[in-house]
Amino acid sequence: MAIECEDQELLEGFLTETAELLEKLDDDLVALEKAPSDTELMNGIFRSIHTVKGASSFLGFELLVKVTHKTEDVLNRLRRGELEVTPEIMDVILEAVDLVKLLVSDIKGGDIVERELDETIGKLLPFLSDNAKEATVLKPTAPATPAAAPEGQVAEPLPQESAMQAPAEPSPAQETAPVKAATPPPRAQAAPPPAPRDDKKGDDLTDNSTVRVDVKRLDDLMNQVGELVLERNRMMQLNTDFHGGSDETSFGEEFGKLSKRISFVTSELQMQVLKMRMIPVEKVFKKFPRIVRNLARDLGKEVDLLVLGEETELDRSVVDEIGDPLIHLIRNALDHGLETPDERVAAGKPRKGNLILSAAHEGNQIVISIKDDGKGVDTEKVARKAREKGLITDEQLAAMGQREILDLIFLPGFSTKEKATDLSGRGVGMDVVRTNIKKLNGIIDIRSEPGQGSEFILKLPLTLAIIQSLLVEVEGETYSVPLAAVLETLRVEEQEFHTIGGQEVLKLRDSVLPLMRLQKIFNVQPSERSRTACYVVIVGVAEKRVGLVVSRLLGQQEVAIKSLGKYLANLPGIAGSTILGDGRVTLIIDPAGLLENSDGSGGGRLAA
Amino acid sequence: METALQTRVEESRNELIQLVSFKLEHEEYGVNVLKVREIIRMPSITRVPNTPHYIEGVINLRGKVIPIISMRKRFNLPDGEISSQTRIMVIDMEGELMGFVVDAVSEVIRIAESEIQPPPAVVNSAVEQECLAGVINQTDRLLFFLNLEKLISRDERHLFSGMM
Repeated sequence: MAIECEDQELLEGFLTETAELLEKLDDDLVALEKAPSDTELMNGIFRSIHTVKGASSFLGFELLVKVTHKTEDVLNRLRRGELEVTPEIMDVILEAVDLVKLLVSDIKGGDIVERELDETIGKLLPFLSDNAKEATVLKPTAPATPAAAPEGQVAEPLPQESAMQAPAEPSPAQETAPVKAATPPPRAQAAPPPAPRDDKKGDDLTDNSTVRVDVKRLDDLMNQVGELVLERNRMMQLNTDFHGGSDETSFGEEFGKLSKRISFVTSELQMQVLKMRMIPVEKVFKKFPRIVRNLARDLGKEVDLLVLGEETELDRSVVDEIGDPLIHLIRNALDHGLETPDERVAAGKPRKGNLILSAAHEGNQIVISIKDDGKGVDTEKVARKAREKGLITDEQLAAMGQREILDLIFLPGFSTKEKATDLSGRGVGMDVVRTNIKKLNGIIDIRSEPGQGSEFILKLPLTLAIIQSLLVEVEGETYSVPLAAVLETLRVEEQEFHTIGGQEVLKLRDSVLPLMRLQKIFNVQPSERSRTACYVVIVGVAEKRVGLVVSRLLGQQEVAIKSLGKYLANLPGIAGSTILGDGRVTLIIDPAGLLENSDGSGGGRLAA
Repeated sequence: METALQTRVEESRNELIQLVSFKLEHEEYGVNVLKVREIIRMPSITRVPNTPHYIEGVINLRGKVIPIISMRKRFNLPDGEISSQTRIMVIDMEGELMGFVVDAVSEVIRIAESEIQPPPAVVNSAVEQECLAGVINQTDRLLFFLNLEKLISRDERHLFSGMM
């Protein structure tokens, strides 16, 4: 049945809005499970589903109304405190939300498919009866849901990926072995959920062909364009005047001014457009709480997910690419890394495992880390498995260090599982991670501490990243210091410097600050003019502080990081370059690199 | 007259290649025109600290930052004045752009491949043997055919980082 909607615009508006509401809903629901008493959140969720219901009934999407209506009823009871938030209720609500997503994607696809709604609605109904609390226990359908629901949703992405990849490589994907013996997912081998749903479809509600841009950014852009139009008019006027016979000196003067303004406006414009390409990594991160929750319930594990730095901005293209690898890494951390609550208690750890997902800018890279406090990677086992599968030879193995052995897990076809499950074990996941990260020219680092947990660190270049920077002058040369690292700036007389053990320091309040003269580090020709006063820019890297001695502060500017290219990459102390308003190239200082070098490691960042 | 005729016959038998010829100190060199992206005048160069001495720095090439190498310094020739003839040849080095400062760019010449002779064992050029792909000996001039990709050897490309 094709959708007939008179007002296409209305329909599109509905789809965009609903997609956003639903995406947020996932996140909120998971948050609610953790903080059931948060009435604000509860009300927000209620409002969202209510809005979806209202809009769909207005547009006449009957199926959608049916599901949302029941879901709303259950939420309403939760809101009024007639029901308590339990994982079982959440499972059903999440399932309902998934169904809503599916229906919305049907609408988006332009065809309404008759779908089986009764099953999900049937699960919602028990919670609406008066003795609902008992219903969770008594009704046979309700307890069955926890197993069935997440299976359909979470396990889905992997088979579909492996379906794409597995045939391509005759990998020994099927003959797999349990990773860490004791953790076969203790999942009820329930019959596959009836009417297997095309969940991928539901996931992809948000459309990447359209962009949502902050209104302020759009206004700024409009302003810039307005200015550009003004300057163009001015230019045409100037041309007319010139041909009309105005004198050349004034023309030259005017033209000089004009070209400066135009160059200014266009470079601003460039910056604005660049900024629009940047989106917070939150876009990817926000779907993880839900995934982690379902996986954890599936695997019978308890886990706290902590998400940090979701506001870090990334180029769209990068954001689009990192979703898949991150899902694999998270799945890996939960399945292979974290132990079951009982194992954890036995190992003297708290029952609940921790999973930390973080993103941050570091130099001209974005660093995304997935860290768990599980049992870490068993390198011996990894080595043994790799040899058994014939991925490496004994000689190769003998020459390998711990680090190289850890890297083996990225080999296609590698798996420590005896049997492939829905979750993992096909030996595809880590290869997907590696391929995707490679595509982005990124680096993967693994840190693993037996018994303490492991950390997967993705370092991705962000050639388009824009940072706030402090422009400083060092004896006539301009450098740019990332403002994020700058703690404060001081104007000091050189005689205030002291020397302790060959190291210049500055007594600042009650601490002693080591100083680094950028002029010396960067071998800048000292200018003839001797000056006694200079500026100290105090930068911080982790717990370290150091004062950079510069000649002058030039001001603050938002700059786009440009890579220096392959040949000049990894210069110690230089994070990249940027182009200033006047077209000159300025180098961006990498405080972390500077500090590393000052530690006498010599090899600079390469050594790290 | 006869030699000229002969050359023409040779040419027809051989593939023609085009070289961009440029001057350095008193000698003339040529690079394959297909490698040359563009030839620009000297813009303002930003020095990059802690790089090999022949790296002049980086420039802004229409929004792209590319490294600039001084040919004179690379071949240990005496420093030359930057004149109105000085040019930067922007070369495509396996996908990465790099600029090379030369004294002057003269012209694009077409020669038959057969005209390129293997470089003599002992060359009286400042250029290192490995970047020398051949010598073109024409009646009125001598051209050294350079393979610029060899100029920055693989190691050097990455070692820039290690040099302090």
